Amino acid sequence: MKQLFYILFIAVSLNATAQDETTFIFSKMDIEAQHVLWDDTPTMLMGFTAMMSASIDIPGPTLTYFEGDSVELKLRNMSQGASHTIHLHGLDVDQQNDGVPHLSFEVGHNETESYYFKAPHPGTYLYHCHVTSALHVQAGMYGLLIVKPNTGINETWEGGYTFDSEYAWMCSEIDLAWHEDSIINHPHDTTTMEFHLPDYNPEYFLVNGRSEQQLTEGGIPIIASANEVILLRLANIGYYGNTYHFPMHLNARIISSDGRPLPQMEFSDTLTVMPGERYQVLLQSTHEIEEEIDVDYFNLNTMEIASTQHIPVFISGYFSQVENEVDKIKLYPNPSSDKVVFSKRIDRISLFDSKGILLKTKHNSDCIDISDLAKGIYLLNLDSETNTIIKN
Amino acid sequence: MNSFKLSIVFGLIIVSNLLATNVEKSLYIISDSIQTVDSVSVPYMSFNETDVYTKDSPVININSGDSLKIWVYNLDSIIHNFAVLDLSDTFSIPAGDSVYIEQVFMDVGLYIYHDPLNYPKNTYLGLAGMIVVNDLDVQNFYWNIKEHNAQWNSDLVNNLDVDWSNYEPKYFTINGNSNPHINTDSLARITGVVGETLYLNIANTGLSIHSMHFHGYHAEIMYSSAHPNHVGRIKDTFPVYPMETVVLKIEPHQAGEYPIHDHNLVAITGNNIYPNGMFTTILITP
Repeated sequence: MKQLFYILFIAVSLNATAQDETTFIFSKMDIEAQHVLWDDTPTMLMGFTAMMSASIDIPGPTLTYFEGDSVELKLRNMSQGASHTIHLHGLDVDQQNDGVPHLSFEVGHNETESYYFKAPHPGTYLYHCHVTSALHVQAGMYGLLIVKPNTGINETWEGGYTFDSEYAWMCSEIDLAWHEDSIINHPHDTTTMEFHLPDYNPEYFLVNGRSEQQLTEGGIPIIASANEVILLRLANIGYYGNTYHFPMHLNARIISSDGRPLPQMEFSDTLTVMPGERYQVLLQSTHEIEEEIDVDYFNLNTMEIASTQHIPVFISGYFSQVENEVDKIKLYPNPSSDKVVFSKRIDRISLFDSKGILLKTKHNSDCIDISDLAKGIYLLNLDSETNTIIKN
Repeated sequence: MNSFKLSIVFGLIIVSNLLATNVEKSLYIISDSIQTVDSVSVPYMSFNETDVYTKDSPVININSGDSLKIWVYNLDSIIHNFAVLDLSDTFSIPAGDSVYIEQVFMDVGLYIYHDPLNYPKNTYLGLAGMIVVNDLDVQNFYWNIKEHNAQWNSDLVNNLDVDWSNYEPKYFTINGNSNPHINTDSLARITGVVGETLYLNIANTGLSIHSMHFHGYHAEIMYSSAHPNHVGRIKDTFPVYPMETVVLKIEPHQAGEYPIHDHNLVAITGNNIYPNGMFTTILITP
């Protein structure tokens, strides 16, 4: 299996040249509430999916390209109602491909249209629907668009900063009143852009569509080693401001914003990201730590903090430059009493007792539930890698 | 040797005085009203260049080193103050009275003049404008951005209390206009040609943070009163804090018509109607 990872790594490297890329994306609307919020409240979404049969999740699929790629982004609208567009936020594309309905085109139900652009400066960008944008963005029609340099290595931009691993957090909010069927499933009148919206009073404050205890999984927590350089991509697609508080030991360095390097890198333990902004931050701890990055969501009219979300940071062991892709997988917490979370999605997780008897397996997941196990020492097999976990 | 040094200093002083100019202005404080995008008349105040009311507090353009000499006349029935934010003293002007202010602006930048009395009350009600200190011969555009709650305006002019901690504006304007009327204001609507250098001077005289997003172009921050460390950043989205001023340089690389709007998308509504808020377009010709 380690060989497979090596093969995958080589494939990624080969892909790192500018080329023609065609991406298919679908716009859809939930028939009934299905996205489960942290308190088990289901909510209706409009959103983008990579496959026609996939359920809507927020954010939509991350689109990744290499600098200079000539991209055809095909939008198939399966939403049963409103027209949609894809605005390529920050890419400075030409007017025809900018995704603003009255200045270019919109894609009606059952229609397929293409957006053409050349992937610009490496960086973190957004895409979102620009039809009745205040509503459609709140409904969930957004995602990240990442442009990587063509250098074939983990580098922020050509000649920029190298890094060992990366995370992307997209913050937003949900106001359930905007997700009522009568609002989200609005009649679409192409003769007018005007639309009456409710007051905005969000109750849920999200990182990658999750909040509260949901932030302990789903690839959101930072799980890394000391000395490992982590690239953190931050984006705000919500209507509140976000202030990040980085633990001192992470030595946060702010290196770029909106797809362009800052004139001077800045050290800071706080960073505010306003609606529509993106920032890239490098983190590197020289110590093993178990802390949190706190994110304040504040009202832009009153400056009142409405919520603070806590994202776990687990730095254990010491990073070695000769590690391969398999060795980079981290898990936490260890010991654990309920579940173990991995730093990336694993094809097959196998859990054995200390005698080597297979107890359970899980496929294509970044966590495994161990709450049903008795205290003891267990072995995890992540494809070819073996780790030991201790059940408290 | 000493006399030689003295003569050089004397010469420099003469040159400096030749470049600096005395700029004389008059401002009239008048209380009246503003029309919202849905034609609601809302109590409002403004500075005016004559004793005839307009909703627009004028933009004052000067060069660095200029001495700005302003007579401010209070044509309202209540006392007002006048100050240049973070620069001048505060001057009190009783109803029907006037005050003369002289202020030298040594540094290029963007400044807010306003009535700081009972802050934020009088500034919120409209008494705020901008002074642009710029030595470049470039095309300039000017955005006085703010937001409004019609009921609060009525309450404030009637001396009723409002709870500023619960501020929830309903209208969002650039130079007092909302979409689609912003594009009819030649000071606000950015137009130009590919390769031209355009400057956008933004003063946020409201109480909310506005995060202005450009389609089609990145721009460079040339000046920020609140975040001088942001100067030189090239971005597509620019947060402007209350009472902050920001100057942006745009050098369009492509032709087209592209939106510029607050990316707090609630702020592109007007009284809850989308898209009647802080939304305009930039128009660049080949």
